[in-house]
Amino acid sequence: MVSDPIEAFFAQLARQAPGRLLRRTAGTIRFELEGTDGLDVWHLTIDNGRIGVDRRARQADTVIRTRRDFFLRMCRGEAKPLTAWLRNDITAEGHFRFVVLLERLFPAPPAARHPRALTGEPG
Amino acid sequence: MNPNLVRVLDGNVFVLSDDNGDIEATRINPVGFFDFDTRFLSVWRLTLNGERLSKLSTAERDHLHLRFFLVPGAPTHYVDAKSSLIRERTINGGVFEERLTVFNHHHAPEDFTVRLDVGSDFAPILGVAADRTPPGRLYHRREERGLCLGYQRERFQRETVVTSSEPVRVDERGLTWTVRLASKEAWTVKLRVRSLVLRPDGVDVRARLERRPRARLHERQDDLAGWLSRAPQLSCDWEALTDVYRRSLVDLAALRYSPLTLPDQVMPAAGLPWAATITGRDSILTSFMALPVASELASATVRMLGIDQGAVLDDFRDEEPGKILREFRYGEMVAFEERPQSPYYGSADATPLYVILLDEYEQWSGDVDLVREFEDETRAALHWIDEYGDLLGDGYVRYLRRNEHSGVANQGWKDSPEAICYADGRLPGPPLATCELQGYAYDAKLRGARMAREFWGDPAYADRLEGEAAALRERFNRDFWIADRGYYALALDGDGRQVDALASNMGHLLWSGIVPADRAAQVAAHLVGPRLFSGWGIRTLATGQERYNPLGYHVGAVWPFDNALITWGLRRYGFAEEAGRIAEAIVDVSGYFHGRLPEAFAGYPRELTEYPVRYPTANNPQAMATAAPFLLLRALLGLETVGEHLLMAPRVPARFGRVELLDVPGRWGRRDVIGSGLAHADH
Repeated sequence: MVSDPIEAFFAQLARQAPGRLLRRTAGTIRFELEGTDGLDVWHLTIDNGRIGVDRRARQADTVIRTRRDFFLRMCRGEAKPLTAWLRNDITAEGHFRFVVLLERLFPAPPAARHPRALTGEPG
Repeated sequence: MNPNLVRVLDGNVFVLSDDNGDIEATRINPVGFFDFDTRFLSVWRLTLNGERLSKLSTAERDHLHLRFFLVPGAPTHYVDAKSSLIRERTINGGVFEERLTVFNHHHAPEDFTVRLDVGSDFAPILGVAADRTPPGRLYHRREERGLCLGYQRERFQRETVVTSSEPVRVDERGLTWTVRLASKEAWTVKLRVRSLVLRPDGVDVRARLERRPRARLHERQDDLAGWLSRAPQLSCDWEALTDVYRRSLVDLAALRYSPLTLPDQVMPAAGLPWAATITGRDSILTSFMALPVASELASATVRMLGIDQGAVLDDFRDEEPGKILREFRYGEMVAFEERPQSPYYGSADATPLYVILLDEYEQWSGDVDLVREFEDETRAALHWIDEYGDLLGDGYVRYLRRNEHSGVANQGWKDSPEAICYADGRLPGPPLATCELQGYAYDAKLRGARMAREFWGDPAYADRLEGEAAALRERFNRDFWIADRGYYALALDGDGRQVDALASNMGHLLWSGIVPADRAAQVAAHLVGPRLFSGWGIRTLATGQERYNPLGYHVGAVWPFDNALITWGLRRYGFAEEAGRIAEAIVDVSGYFHGRLPEAFAGYPRELTEYPVRYPTANNPQAMATAAPFLLLRALLGLETVGEHLLMAPRVPARFGRVELLDVPGRWGRRDVIGSGLAHADH
């Protein structure tokens, strides 16, 4: 049983990639999470609809750096990666398109509605 | 907005100023140096010995350079100036550069004080027209040969750094040079203005991203020359056509840029000053219209919008899976989620238009690889039409914003709040299904079917899409047609009632092919009839409709891109004479604007004004208007692709005389197309 929510987030990605991740998406992302006790490194390898996760600091297409507490907000769908990047709550180096891809890895905003929910039609 | 504004432009980086080169931004005068959706200079005001400068002339040729020839004092007092000043401006490697040269024409030495007031409000472009107090902190820092202005809000930070090539006295409001010039002597200073988007560690956020450095001036000159030489060469007896063609090529070249997401390709920004950014509709329609001259824009647009395609439900952004974005912005209000453009998805037309563009692009270019590569995105877009676009489950694409605070109410191209109305002026209740959206959905399904059958190896899916398209066509023609008036309703309201205003929207239906042949003549007659056709073009809303206003952005003004799509539709249905009449009118209009078609112009009848009247706050240049002449030309020459071939069937009004479009590129290699207004004179 994993108790750390960040470990749980990555474990879930490795177990089952989100369905909205396109099969032909391929690349590597390194997350560098700043905490009170140093830097946590997570390395993702995305290929053929699957996500491999390990903790080695390796070359990556894109390096994302943020604070652990902010990363947790993204894990909960409370903060959106693109606006976080615009505010410098996360920084990115390398290929920008993987910053856009983050939108497909993190949860959607909570309580979002299907458009038909407003019209009373079955969604 | 002052129509005499002048600009230098490199895609999404631009300087917009008064015609003497000064920048004095106000809420209604959106001038400045802009980059990254932010105004980095709002004051840039020159004086010589305390006097403002007046322009003798301004040279604006190709967006790369501007030259201002200036003298001190107001022009009315102008008598044999003893001094003058040349101001030269460019964007070089993403940096705003200006060179000032002061000439002493006097027969004796003179002392000169050159003063440049410098300021920045760091306004996000979305906030430029609003009264807004910036929540962050403005600061400045004097440097040895320049001035740094800055803005910080939490970890968000922007800086403008102005540096002088010559020794200078710096204060927090600007730069001052004092020089003594001998008789006939000149003095020059070079200024560089850098726009920085900083991280907390002082590094520009763009510096560590994989991308080519922004093009230097000489690279941009070479690029423009190459772009012009690759484009088909047009010659025509009517100079207005060659002028607008050339101007459009130059303007479109300047609007191209490489987004951070797609650093190796170029796509069109939508327009200045309001839309120098990634957009869905504008980039799709611009790329569609530009296919005969530059099909690479379509490929970049498909890629870019595919990467940014909606993936989740998000009420704030009106996002749904498969939806194509409306607009992306990098500015402060978006960063802090006061506005939803990160990206915002509130448009109902971009998603079917995306499918249409990909298919049309393949037909021109033969680039099957792109169709295969973007199969998932295209299927997701087609799925969106039925799953999320069809809000009432009655088979029509409708729109209804979930973001009621900062979302857009009308989500077709006519997106102003009162654009969709009944003939008597009432506003219909949501969710609205405008007619052109149904045409786009129909066309997208048929084109999706073609791609599924020919390239994706999925004939069953193709059959299903074709069946859905046929059903939509039948349903649409039953529910939208107003039999006793002989035209299509502008929309269905939320209760399924016809919104009966006579508007240009139904012209797009001819482009989409959803109109049966026996109704097309009635539609065409309305489009070129006196209520819709002003003599200069087709109005967005017909005269006699309660809300018609010749200066109404979407309720009376004439839009060149709208006219180009309609002209193309008329031509497809065999109305060559009507198509020729509209094309001739729009080309005629361009002659009144130095060959540059405005985004929109007023809907006054031609006989009333005798010249076309510019719409007051429109973008200029605007990508869709810039590309409109290419589609008009395509309609005049009857250019269609069939298999590996380019078919041509020129039907050119007499006024054009001979029209030659040489080296039209496509899957056929290069072909020459020649038409003559004499051979097919219709009158």
